[in-house]
Amino acid sequence: MAETIDEARIIAWIDGELDPEEAAEVAARVAGDPALTALAERHRQMRLRFAAAFGPIAERPAELRPPAPVISLAAVRAEREEKRKAAAPPKRWAWPGAIAASLLLGLLVGQQALGPRAVSDRPNALALDGTIAAALDGQLSGDAGPVRVALSFRDKQGDYCRSFAGRSLSGVACRDKDGWTLRYGGQGAAATGDYRMAGADEALATAVGGMIAGEPLDRAGEAAARRKNWR
Amino acid sequence: MDDVERRLASHLPRLRRFAHGLARNTADADDLAQASAERILKARDTWQPGTNFEAWAYRVMRNLWIDMTRSRKRTDGPLAPEELGHGVGVAGEAESNVELGYLMRAMDRLPDEQREACALVLIEGLAYREAADVLEVPIGTLTSRLVRGRQALMAMLEE
Repeated sequence: MAETIDEARIIAWIDGELDPEEAAEVAARVAGDPALTALAERHRQMRLRFAAAFGPIAERPAELRPPAPVISLAAVRAEREEKRKAAAPPKRWAWPGAIAASLLLGLLVGQQALGPRAVSDRPNALALDGTIAAALDGQLSGDAGPVRVALSFRDKQGDYCRSFAGRSLSGVACRDKDGWTLRYGGQGAAATGDYRMAGADEALATAVGGMIAGEPLDRAGEAAARRKNWR
Repeated sequence: MDDVERRLASHLPRLRRFAHGLARNTADADDLAQASAERILKARDTWQPGTNFEAWAYRVMRNLWIDMTRSRKRTDGPLAPEELGHGVGVAGEAESNVELGYLMRAMDRLPDEQREACALVLIEGLAYREAADVLEVPIGTLTSRLVRGRQALMAMLEE
């Protein structure tokens, strides 16, 4: 059908698929025929309409909706059970695929726990202060306090990061020039339900695994870092 | 992170957009994106370094979507104007999401083969050659599905 061939060429032209010679030929034919001009314009408008509606999705990675926590954590649990049955030797900081999947999951659940609507887009939106920052500044891992600090390490940018568990927030924070900034967040001790027990610590460990460069700091390393204010 | 994880992380936003081109609503799209990310990580050994990761990732998602929807019945008939804005997202969402939901419903009315062609070219902006590679069809097949899909979309959206 001649008409379909023409329309296919017009669409290919709009999609930028024609070589310059062909494109010039189609452009001339379209310009010389009001019906084809109108048809080309409708296709161009539709392409723009799709670009405008779908384009922003690819610019908002953080809005990926987390799956229901109970289901996904059950999956994490099932996967761990499978691994246990397979008796795979545990590897430190070397994360197999199943764990990497839960890294994504953990990050997403973390974003949900923080409440995406409550966090602004300012550079220091996730800055930590008060009790948590004081604990991160002053406590060595394992020290008692209202906020428990569990682990310290350097991330791939060389910043010091520490995992912590507070009453309503747990997660990983890293120290930059402005202070401690949350890099990964989950619910704290007061908000835990049964379902969290199985997966949250693992998700946190996985988040650390994705950030850490080298090995965690030992106690002497932490003390040295503290003397330098974690910078 | 290994190579596949890094590549996945950087490609994930576009994969998620592709999922919105395939799925019938945003909830299904995010489920599809999540499931695809997990499958990509599990199937990482089947990707050969040096080949096009993005094309492979799109293909994994597309195949997963086919699996997930194979038995599903699709609504036929014209796109009713009263569908616009109903059941799309939650109350108070931006108008652009209503528009997105509307276009997704229109896409949903296309036969699968036309929808995946339109999603790759019209939404993802792939070249015809790349889209044909993702779908593993000859380029002529891709273009004819694409043209028929575009004609059908135009008829639905301009009515």
